[in-house]
Amino acid sequence: MKLPSRRALALGLAALLFLAGFGWLVATQGPLARVKVTVAKAGETTLDRTLFGIGTVEARRSYAIGPTVAGRVAAVLVDHGEAVTAGQLLAEMDPVDLEARQAAGSATAARAGQLVASAQAALAEAGSRARLAQASSERYADLRRKSFVSQEAADAKVHEAAAAQAGQEAAAAALAAAKDEARRAQSDLAGLGKSRAHLRLVSPVDGIVTARLAEPGSTVVAGQSVVQVIDPATLWLRVRIDQGRSAGLAVGLPVDIALRSRPGQMLKGRVERVDLVGDAVAEERIANVSLGEAPGNQAIGELAEATLHLPPAAKALAVPAAAVKRVGTENGVWRLVEGRARFAAVSTGPASADGMVQVLNGLAAGDAVIVHSNRTLTPDLRVNVVDTLVKAAP
Amino acid sequence: MDKTSIPAIRIEGLMKRYGTGDAAVDALKGVDMTVWPGEVVGLIGPSGSGKTTLLKCLGAVIEPTGGHMQLSGETIYDGKDGGWRTGDLRALRRDRIGFVFQAPYLIPFLDVTDNVALLPMLAGIDNAAARKRALELLTALDVAHRAGAQVSQLSGGEQQRVAIARSLANHAPIILADEPTAPLDSERALTVIRILNDMAVQYQTAIIVVTHDEKIIPTFKRIYHIRDGRTHEEAGEGRPL
Amino acid sequence: MINLAGRDILHGWGKFLFTGVGLGLLIGVTLSMAGIYRGMVDDGQVLIDNSGADLWVVQQGTLGPYAEPSSIRDDVWRGIAGLPGVAETGNAAYLTMQIEHAGKESRAMVVGMEVDRPNRPGAPAYLTAGRPVLAGHYEAIADELAKFKLGERVRIRRHEYEIVGLTRRMVSSSGDPMIFVPLKDAQEIQFLKDNDALLNERARTAANPAFNRPGVPGLLEAVQAANAQSRMVNAVLVRLEANADPEAVAAEIRRWKRLQAYTKVQMEDILVAKLIATSSRQIAMFLVILSVVTAAIVAFIIYTMTLAKVREIAVLKLIGARNRTIAGMILQQALGLGLIGFFVGRLAAGLWAPVFPKYVLLLPGDALRGFAIVMAICALASVVAIRAALAIDPAEAIGG
Repeated sequence: MKLPSRRALALGLAALLFLAGFGWLVATQGPLARVKVTVAKAGETTLDRTLFGIGTVEARRSYAIGPTVAGRVAAVLVDHGEAVTAGQLLAEMDPVDLEARQAAGSATAARAGQLVASAQAALAEAGSRARLAQASSERYADLRRKSFVSQEAADAKVHEAAAAQAGQEAAAAALAAAKDEARRAQSDLAGLGKSRAHLRLVSPVDGIVTARLAEPGSTVVAGQSVVQVIDPATLWLRVRIDQGRSAGLAVGLPVDIALRSRPGQMLKGRVERVDLVGDAVAEERIANVSLGEAPGNQAIGELAEATLHLPPAAKALAVPAAAVKRVGTENGVWRLVEGRARFAAVSTGPASADGMVQVLNGLAAGDAVIVHSNRTLTPDLRVNVVDTLVKAAP
Repeated sequence: MDKTSIPAIRIEGLMKRYGTGDAAVDALKGVDMTVWPGEVVGLIGPSGSGKTTLLKCLGAVIEPTGGHMQLSGETIYDGKDGGWRTGDLRALRRDRIGFVFQAPYLIPFLDVTDNVALLPMLAGIDNAAARKRALELLTALDVAHRAGAQVSQLSGGEQQRVAIARSLANHAPIILADEPTAPLDSERALTVIRILNDMAVQYQTAIIVVTHDEKIIPTFKRIYHIRDGRTHEEAGEGRPL
Repeated sequence: MINLAGRDILHGWGKFLFTGVGLGLLIGVTLSMAGIYRGMVDDGQVLIDNSGADLWVVQQGTLGPYAEPSSIRDDVWRGIAGLPGVAETGNAAYLTMQIEHAGKESRAMVVGMEVDRPNRPGAPAYLTAGRPVLAGHYEAIADELAKFKLGERVRIRRHEYEIVGLTRRMVSSSGDPMIFVPLKDAQEIQFLKDNDALLNERARTAANPAFNRPGVPGLLEAVQAANAQSRMVNAVLVRLEANADPEAVAAEIRRWKRLQAYTKVQMEDILVAKLIATSSRQIAMFLVILSVVTAAIVAFIIYTMTLAKVREIAVLKLIGARNRTIAGMILQQALGLGLIGFFVGRLAAGLWAPVFPKYVLLLPGDALRGFAIVMAICALASVVAIRAALAIDPAEAIGG
């Protein structure tokens, strides 16, 4: 047998190289390729837990100022954005016939005063007449005892005295009635004055006009606002937080706020109030968050992202959140044991914003868990551990 | 020449007719020929005389239409008795007839040794023995030094020697050479004829050389002229080489 | 006996190899075509598998949520979660939209998923980088195909989203990359309009006297607020208890909740048989044509190769080579050509498959089938050449 020629050797080598390349391709590119994974160790760490919600800037107190009775707007003295002080006149309602009625009331009151004076005069006259009749009656009685006058004459004088007494009493009653009438007229007049004051819409607080809702000449119903005023010092966020992630929501939590108008600027705030009634339809809870040092000129209704900081969970056994997978109806992690994937059911606690999640049980510190994979894992799957599955950005 | 021994080939009244009816052409009209082992005879004749037809009949490539053919005393064809005796003409050609062509017609994808060894291999002999025999023949023909070469690397003369070696590879009793010297100059042509003569003697094989090459005709001791489908035997000059 | 085919191949190996490589590229195209078809089917399949659901509950009478639009109220899940056999439900919203990235617009499917607990139905099954969505809003996970990077901010409609995680092979049935966002954001993307549309809508409502009546303060505002609400989702994904019968639960939902419910098998049927039926038939047709062309080319090559050897074959016949030997030589060469072609083709397909914009899945089973078919085609093709070779007259070697 002769030795193979050099050409045959070269060809054989080329074929071998080709087959090696082919094998490499099949083993690394296709469905037969080994699954690549990245791995992390479970370890104890401090978890910075956060809640995240979307809020809108709202005024804590908003004053809708309007008339108590239906009427026409006579004047609106302030405009949107104007600062007002407590007691400042903001708008006036048209009084219509109120002034005429006030004049009539004043006249009635004056007349009632005169009536009182006249009743007093009548009472004085009736008194003197009664006193005269009394004296005359006493004299006749004396004279009768001395029998200077007849019994009839004496009796007549007694009767006269009694009548004069009754007349005096009637005059006193008339005076009291006249006084009452005078008081009534006076309070009527005062009432008209009050009504007149209600037509003047004044600001109850120092604040800013946020809305001018009616113009002079338009008619408004009772309760409809003409001007809206808010107190800018009471601006806060109404933050909506998903119910499923709202555990730990409480008053006093510090909050980082990014207003939509300044996404880069983090404002500090704190939870002032947590509404006891949540939104059942949207499945959200509502927290009110104060704006620490508001930058000013933020608009009401502006969107804001609020990150609420819960007390950190210290010394928590944690794994990257991406490691927690679901198999069947169980949550768990894939542990890396001797180059193979093993599923371990775990129960998880809260997650931190930087992507770590607390493992409550089912895993020990130092266990290697598979974080990322380029395919769905199956039990006992042989895997290749790599540093990263995605090429870093150049 | 030992006329008492069995002739390598004997043909009597061999006929070949192409076509039928009115279009029939009789290429061979009764050819007689006897060639003895160790003998080189010439077969000459003008174009269209039936030379090639006779060669094809002798080579068991086409079937004659009448006559009788014997190879080493064994009848291989009898026109009156059912034609070919064997159904496997290829085995017949492979084992008992050697061919040398006008051009060497070597197999280009085999090297020199394997070109010669192919015949014994086809006959079922194992590769090593076949190559051994091939090497012996190549040595006898003085081309053993090119045994491992590719055919394309050989000169025309060398190729022709290899072709002769191939025709001898199965110890065929008869070798048919079809114009083996046509493309060669006279010196080389004579060399080829000398080799054929040597081989005929050395391997006791009969060689029929079909030719119209004037340079080599004088070398034959015996010549068959073929003319008009019939052969006429005559003595050649037998010029020594 | 020496191997004549092998010797012939070795003798003219350059020509043979180039012919094989050429044929291989053609076979590579054919394999890629099969890979494209498999990729399409797989796109549909991963969509089902990766959603992690056992049942899809959608609007009655629709093939939603992937094949047809479907819209149901987002509190429907409460009724479903109570059914026996149901382990977990999750609302999901799907919408396909153009997303601008790096100055170019590309198509993507935005998926709204619930994020209040890890691994709710609809969330990606695995990540290749980053972390899951942890905040309730404005975070997103993107398929690598979308070419986003971790930490990048991408604008979708009215908000910017931060890419916090990357995943792979999470695509829609048409192969568009998925972008996972919290459900509430997805609802907003889907139903809340752009500013102009909002203003126009408000003006239209305000112009309607039924909604803007004098003397009924607040009515217009109430109507407009009601209009802006988006309380719809496209589907409820349902996970079942391990021992629950999907068909039974689906039937229960269909019957009593007046909603359509599909099991995994039915969803596969919708996605694979209905949604991509035409395109897959298109590819299958092309595959058939390519196979025929490949067969014809192989036959032609081998026939030509044989005809180039007429003289040698005639000599072989003359010196007594058997038909079997000659046929064997031609057949072996044809198979050798097929072998080279197949390996080159598989290599080529494997090399260029990742460059395709959509997924090309080269299954080992397909490769094996392809190998068998290539070999069969080569064997068949060699029949023509063998017939031609056997018809060669050995007399051609003699004279002229």
